[in-house]
Amino acid sequence: MAATEGNTLLKQATGPNIRGLLRVIILVLIAGAAVSSRLFSVIRFESIIHEFDPWFNFRATKYLVQNGFYSFWDWFDDRTWHPLGRVTGGTLYPGLMVTSGVIYHVLRFLTFPVDIRNICVLLAPGFSGLTALATYLLTNEMVTSPSAGLLAAAFMGITPGYISRSVAGSYDNEAIAIFLLVFTFFLWIKAVKNGSMFWGALTALFYGYMVSAWGGYVFITNLLPLHAFVLICMGRYSPRLYVSYTSWYALGTLASMQIPFVGFLPIRSSEHMSSLGVFGLIQLVAFVDYVRAQLPSKQFQTLLRALVLFIFVVAFGGLVLLTVSGVIAPWTGRFYSLWDTGYAKIHIPIIASVSEHQPTAWPAFFFDLSMMIWLFPAGVYMCFRKLTDEQVFIVIYSVLASYFAGVMVRLMLTLTPIVCVASAMAFSQILDTYLDAKTPVPDSKESGTSDTAKVAAAVVVPEGLRSTRSPLVGIYSWASKLTVVGASIVYLMLFVLHCTWVTSNAYSSPSVVLASRLPDGSQHIIDDYREAYYWLRQNTPDNAKIMSWWDYGYQIGGMADRPTLVDNNTWNNTHIATVGKAMSSREEVSYPIMRQHEVDYVLVVFGGLLGYSGDDINKFLWMVRIAEGIWPEEVKERNFFTPRGEYRVDEEATPTMKNSLMYKMSYYNYDKLFPAGQAQDRVRGARLPAQGPELSTIEEAFTSENWIIRIYKVKDLDNFGRDHQSALTFDKGHKKKKPAKRRGARVLRVE
Amino acid sequence: MRSTFLFASCVAALSSFASAELNLSQPLLSRQVLPSTFRPPQVFKNANLVRTTNLDKAYPRETINVVIENIDAKPQSKYYLPFESSLLSRVGGLEVRDKKDAEKGSFKVEVVGFDAESSTEFYLIHLPTPLAPKAQQTLSISYSVLSAVVPVPAQIGQSDKQYVQYTFSAYTPSAYLTDKQKTKMKFPNGDVPDYTTLPADLNTEKKADPQKQGSTFTYGPYNNIPAGAEEFVSVRYEFTKPLTHATLLERDLEVSHWGGNLASEERYWLTNQGAQLKNHFSRVEWQKQSYMNPPSSALKNLNLPLHPGAVDPYFTDDIGNVSTSRFRPGKKEALLELKPRYPVFGGWKYSFRVGWNADLNTYLRKLATGDSYVLKVPFLEGPRAGEGIAYARVHLRVILPEGATNVKYSTTVPLVDSTTSVHRTFMDTLGRPTLELHAINIVDEFRERDLIVTYDYPWTAGYRKPIVLALGLFAVFAVSWVLGSIDTSIGKKKKA
Repeated sequence: MAATEGNTLLKQATGPNIRGLLRVIILVLIAGAAVSSRLFSVIRFESIIHEFDPWFNFRATKYLVQNGFYSFWDWFDDRTWHPLGRVTGGTLYPGLMVTSGVIYHVLRFLTFPVDIRNICVLLAPGFSGLTALATYLLTNEMVTSPSAGLLAAAFMGITPGYISRSVAGSYDNEAIAIFLLVFTFFLWIKAVKNGSMFWGALTALFYGYMVSAWGGYVFITNLLPLHAFVLICMGRYSPRLYVSYTSWYALGTLASMQIPFVGFLPIRSSEHMSSLGVFGLIQLVAFVDYVRAQLPSKQFQTLLRALVLFIFVVAFGGLVLLTVSGVIAPWTGRFYSLWDTGYAKIHIPIIASVSEHQPTAWPAFFFDLSMMIWLFPAGVYMCFRKLTDEQVFIVIYSVLASYFAGVMVRLMLTLTPIVCVASAMAFSQILDTYLDAKTPVPDSKESGTSDTAKVAAAVVVPEGLRSTRSPLVGIYSWASKLTVVGASIVYLMLFVLHCTWVTSNAYSSPSVVLASRLPDGSQHIIDDYREAYYWLRQNTPDNAKIMSWWDYGYQIGGMADRPTLVDNNTWNNTHIATVGKAMSSREEVSYPIMRQHEVDYVLVVFGGLLGYSGDDINKFLWMVRIAEGIWPEEVKERNFFTPRGEYRVDEEATPTMKNSLMYKMSYYNYDKLFPAGQAQDRVRGARLPAQGPELSTIEEAFTSENWIIRIYKVKDLDNFGRDHQSALTFDKGHKKKKPAKRRGARVLRVE
Repeated sequence: MRSTFLFASCVAALSSFASAELNLSQPLLSRQVLPSTFRPPQVFKNANLVRTTNLDKAYPRETINVVIENIDAKPQSKYYLPFESSLLSRVGGLEVRDKKDAEKGSFKVEVVGFDAESSTEFYLIHLPTPLAPKAQQTLSISYSVLSAVVPVPAQIGQSDKQYVQYTFSAYTPSAYLTDKQKTKMKFPNGDVPDYTTLPADLNTEKKADPQKQGSTFTYGPYNNIPAGAEEFVSVRYEFTKPLTHATLLERDLEVSHWGGNLASEERYWLTNQGAQLKNHFSRVEWQKQSYMNPPSSALKNLNLPLHPGAVDPYFTDDIGNVSTSRFRPGKKEALLELKPRYPVFGGWKYSFRVGWNADLNTYLRKLATGDSYVLKVPFLEGPRAGEGIAYARVHLRVILPEGATNVKYSTTVPLVDSTTSVHRTFMDTLGRPTLELHAINIVDEFRERDLIVTYDYPWTAGYRKPIVLALGLFAVFAVSWVLGSIDTSIGKKKKA
């Protein structure tokens, strides 16, 4: 960033060629900084795919590379969602995998033996460099100052809001989608400015790429029509807008319909209706415009205006009617939760159970955007002052994205580019004004303006405002220049420090591998996940079905390479609820469910020994809630709370809790690790019952070194046709207890 | 693009690549098939035979010292050694030497088989000098048998002792009459709960058979055992160590003259052939006993002694880096201590890869005359373990620099196959000549054996790649300049 300022300093002294070269060098350096600041996790840990969803993308990419594009397109995956399977080729956004596949094949063609895993790991950092470039281009379209673009590129390169989704190893759709988003916007602005069909078609092309890469394309689908609509309402309709919008909409919609997962949604679903509506509106406006040019009668204009309004109302009414009658698909649940943050929690617990779908907390804005969060309104305000067509876009984008970022943590990502652009505009304004080394000559004030003052004034305040007609603007004192520039540099430094710190501490953990520090300060790696997954991969039959909570589905598919019942592609709520029911019910209820789904192994995550808080007992209530949503009679959330409303795992835990399969699997044999009666759960800080749970229908098959992953094998049916409980008591040499007698005894005890 | 490179490579081709190589060692490729009526001609007899079976390790290592005598009228040089065909596929590292003159090197052996129905197959030993009539020669035949011991009981508890059973014939299988023979067995310890006792009258000395002496048993001596006689006995002994068995080892050695580097990578597919767990794995029990560190049938760690000077080791498996390894570089040897992700119990598998770099100077020598180089590398650098490791198949690839010709090799390890192929990587135009050697049923005792590869590498070959790259980039720039200067605009030209 110091280089960016250097450029501004040098600008006056050097020719256009040197400046161009400097700009290229600075952009390359920014891209380099963007890439390298995302490599913390590779350096600290290894080249590994992070978290959950990236494991699926990685697996799909491997499939694509091994089997070719057409079998990937037709891929039916029978190793997930057992026994249903998943039409994977038709239910994913293939852009990410195809991009990596193309890179892979190009490198292979050039005989570079690069592993597909490394391509996937480094794809996001690589594309972040391109995003910085795209931000530079977009900002350059907004302002005349060339330094704003460079600042915006630098901001975009290192801002944590974007890094959070694009560190090395976070191989998710967002990795390439943010680049496509920014670049599509740049092309759109270019198209609107030039009224060029060429740029409009390019916008459509990159929009199509974006559709193939990320579900967030709907943001573009709605933002561009909104921009056009606002421009029309402001009376800024022009043939340029008509050409760019129609060429984008026609080609872009066709392009988006090529993706099987999207298919006919662009003409069937409500999310896409605004772009269709604006498309229709712009035809009308164009028609009116044409007619107005031919007939200059005022009454006729009024008539036409009424006609336009009428048609608009009719079209909107028709749209509502079609939606109600079901021809057009209504809003999806995830979309409703954008308007009502409480909606998901009540109606779709599965969406609410994902932490990234939660509303954003205030500190998160400062955490992810740092000083940009207060520069951002300044930049938006500056757009208002001039309010050219492209600056209207900034305003709309800022308003919409700010709202969405407040609703869902995840959408902070769409806000980040515009924050970078707007704050770079504000910041460069300051720097341009105060970094001007030449002091305006005081005596030239009378004669209007000197050349330098004119330059300075033109930058600060646009011409045309009454107060600036005879400007006396300019910074005269070196002291004020130094103060402001010094403060700005300090802010920039702090920003860099903050970004690096956040990236290093918050966003660079693969979450598959945990790190801790030994007493001597050396790093200790806790690798339980991979230990257990590799055990599954090596020592179980190839088609052994693994039941686990859906969070681990993709990881099991990717690392253990075994069929799973449910995974992170949460399309089938009932199936997930079935697993939730099996986990939250008593063994006698769970066993038939597991037999029916041919489950061979059950995997649970248990953090009690290590104090690892992201374990299944802490997620258990979501399983209960999701199961309750389908079987309200059989699973009741209330029964997992003590009468005083506490969620406990110790002696006081409710019988439902203690008898649930999840509880038993988590704490089975755990007490034997401690002296009698001393068993301690370090996550929940609870002392466990002296008598550990007993399992009859499943048996412990494997437990990882720190007990984080526990794998149980589902027993086969008993050879003598007994139920497992009585087989177990027989094996232990106990007498067969008569249930009637027990019930009688219990009644006595109650009294 | 490719054609550009090919064309450029033709221009830059400074030496031609010849694919025809002559090899010094003959692999065991030829497998004569004999009619089922074949019986080895009775031209020898075994005057005295002592077989030593060493059961210290996870595989039995047999050494047969036999005095053979030509009883024919003519000098003879073909000595047959019979094996049951199921056994033959598991016999590895068979070497025959002259006991009196061991320095002379091993004799040439080949496998001869009958047609499919026959149950006996032979190793044919070619004596280097035909044995004159009535003359005697002492042969020392040694081999190991893989997957020969089976755990009995097949399932044990997690911290139980493991017992394994070895079944063999008390009469050493031979195609000839044996005058006098005995079999010595060396057990890892004295805990031998079960063994077959043979009736004393079979024994020449009419003593109890076998004779026990600490951890050493002796079956025999027996007199005048006819050809093909068998008497199966079993011994069952304690062996609470993993029976580590590599179903496949792929080993790549890549020579780089530019980098002065020898890159090694080994990929293992291990399985523990020991007794399976009776119940499932219990972490509680494992953690409790890990303080005492008792002997266990589980494979807990592997130590790879590398040559001194080895650097940058890595230990990964299918899903990434295994963080539980430690590297101790040292003056005498660089020890790479590997710990599998989980203890490998009987019946479990573990596959992984390790690799490291080393300075090429310690392995490569340029001959004084010409452009020839001699590369001397260990054939096998697997883990060193007291209980031994058996490799069912070993695929060794030596990737030589691009432009190397006239590749020859020699090794004392018995091979089954060898081919030369071309490996293309990192912007190669012709590809690198690659020597592929295949061996089966190798045990870790072969660690010390060397592989010597000689090849010609003219200095010009080293400059092929820079020139090709430069030409390729030049071509790219030229093409882009030509394409960039084509005017594709529609309509009127704007004046600049």
